[in-house]
Amino acid sequence: MPRVAIVCALAPLIINACGGHEPRETGRQSAAAARVSAPQDTSFAGTTAPVQRAARPGTPPRVLRSVAATSGPGYDRVVFEFAEDSVPGYHVEYTTKPVRRCGSGDPVSVAGAGSLVVRLEPAQAHDARGNPTLAERERALGLPAVREMKLVCDFEGQVEWVLGVVAAGPYRVLASPGPGRLVVDIRHRP
Amino acid sequence: MTAWLRAAFIVLVAACREAPVGPCPSPRVAGSAAEQAAPVVRRSPFDSAFASAGAEFHVPPALLKAIGWVETRWEMVQGAEEFAGRAPAFGVMALRGAALGRGAARAGVTPEATRRDPLANIRAAAALLDAFADEAAIDRSRNEQWSGVIARYSEIERPDGRAAYGREVDRALGGLPPQLARAPAPAPTACLPPPPPGSGGAPDYPPGVWRASPNFNARPSDSTGRVHVLIIHTCESNYTGCWSWLVNPASQASVHYVVSEDGNEISQLVHESDRAWHIAATYDCTLNRRHDCWLNGVQSNDFTVGIEHAGFASQGSFPASQLEASATLACDVTRDRGIPRDWQHIVGHGQLQPATRTDPGPNWPWIAYVHRVQALCGETVVDDSAPFNDPALAAAAVPAAWTASDTTPDYYGGGYRWASTQPDATDVASFSFRLAAPASRAVDARWTSGTNRSPHAAYAVISSAGDTLALVRVDQTTGGGRWRALGTWTFPAGWNRVVLLRRGTAGSVVVADAVRVRQ
Repeated sequence: MPRVAIVCALAPLIINACGGHEPRETGRQSAAAARVSAPQDTSFAGTTAPVQRAARPGTPPRVLRSVAATSGPGYDRVVFEFAEDSVPGYHVEYTTKPVRRCGSGDPVSVAGAGSLVVRLEPAQAHDARGNPTLAERERALGLPAVREMKLVCDFEGQVEWVLGVVAAGPYRVLASPGPGRLVVDIRHRP
Repeated sequence: MTAWLRAAFIVLVAACREAPVGPCPSPRVAGSAAEQAAPVVRRSPFDSAFASAGAEFHVPPALLKAIGWVETRWEMVQGAEEFAGRAPAFGVMALRGAALGRGAARAGVTPEATRRDPLANIRAAAALLDAFADEAAIDRSRNEQWSGVIARYSEIERPDGRAAYGREVDRALGGLPPQLARAPAPAPTACLPPPPPGSGGAPDYPPGVWRASPNFNARPSDSTGRVHVLIIHTCESNYTGCWSWLVNPASQASVHYVVSEDGNEISQLVHESDRAWHIAATYDCTLNRRHDCWLNGVQSNDFTVGIEHAGFASQGSFPASQLEASATLACDVTRDRGIPRDWQHIVGHGQLQPATRTDPGPNWPWIAYVHRVQALCGETVVDDSAPFNDPALAAAAVPAAWTASDTTPDYYGGGYRWASTQPDATDVASFSFRLAAPASRAVDARWTSGTNRSPHAAYAVISSAGDTLALVRVDQTTGGGRWRALGTWTFPAGWNRVVLLRRGTAGSVVVADAVRVRQ
């Protein structure tokens, strides 16, 4: 499993990628949400600081093919799944600045008191023919921690989502290969 | 080849017919690239596979070869791992998803072999085309009947995208003689009216192809909406993927122009007078040599025109033909919009939006690019600093005692030089330009103004023969940051020059920034 070993070496913040805790696909299920089984652990410390891992320069873009959000005991989970075996670089951060669409610069508002930005690069949510790979680009969730999520950028190799959260609480980021999935868990308020 | 040229023409017409609102196929950008042999007549690493798979599945080998060229330039793509911008595709034929599975099954090879093995990949593609041809019940001996099969193979949903794909296959097959394009074929009634000869029909840049994007709005009507900066981007994808995404309303992004990899085609997506959506950043003049700080906080789309280039910010170099086509376009835009061709007005996306963008990347050849834009627009600039000069055409000599500075903004290049006036000074800042033949040229000078500047700064215009043609005095206390006309003279061939004299009443300074010579 050299790929897993590399992920571990590069990203100590990826808690579960090496331990086999990450939910694995079982059986033939099409929806990404169905692939995300119940969280194994119901509490984690998490962080409110930025979490990031840069892609190697020259890495080809990953194609985002599904986004799923579920609520489990203690936290909400958002899963970004890619068409390839590994995840792109990512930068996850709470922001207090206005979130803007990366093309128009128009400000975007989301429900909730906090905005967690998830930037993926190099990545795209459309195929090489100009067709979107995700039909749903805004989603009202109403989960305990995550109220809403919006795709605010899919341009020049960057995909950016903003998650509207009830409060800017601790979160963690997990990555797993084959297919590449980036998991963002946001803790419920105590 | 004759038959295939005809087929290419039919592909073009058929693709056009399928485009209910799309533009008609247009000729190439005139003079933007040297003519080359059509890809199908060049040798490829997979010629024997194209031949054998074509024979096996009754698909013309030249068609397989042309599609392979369009899809991958005959590279073995391995999903996202090998070929940027074509993430879901595999192999020479860029098979993907269900199509890969279907072609593999029909060819009797495994999906894994189809992804990894060139022959299996080409056979699977041939089998897929064979299946499409069967389902469409085409007469395979009639080349024109393949056009629908090609469109289906493309998996492009948009009619104009399918048309463009057909055009790319056409080019790979050998292009289309202009006289053939004007042959009395049935008029493609579903197309927009055909553009005039030599035109791609784009509203602001006639050689370009007009592919209107819905992603734009109006610029502000006040001074913040005046177009005066050109922004250079890279798509982070290939050409077709770039423009076809930016005309999709789902993208919520756009740009005014997209230049293809080889520069053979330019798409215009948004009128220059409208506000395209290509840069998220609000303007911060500290990122742009403290130019136009009054615009700080203004959304940068309001006053800019964007040019995307097929390719990546990380690439090591850019094709010469792409740079030439882009420079030709940039000359046109700057001339039409009155945009100065300098370092504050032709800038990179990453420069103005460093938090999240780097494009067009560290290997965009800025100096050569701006020089080429200037040259195409008939001007040569001589800066006080050598790195900003084309040594074949321009050279400056400024004494070391003249102080380098960038304190006052709106200089040309990276800064300027100044010196205190003295009544008996003999030193000068010399700006030389070379002419290949005698010619009449207008000469402009640029400085940065301030209250301590000389109101009588003297420029001497000296021919390559050593004759002083004129002595022109200017007031450098005002009018800085712009080109100010000194006059027009007829110069002999060779290195002519304009020198700024230090001599003058003590108590002020003269500023040597740059000289421009234009036709």
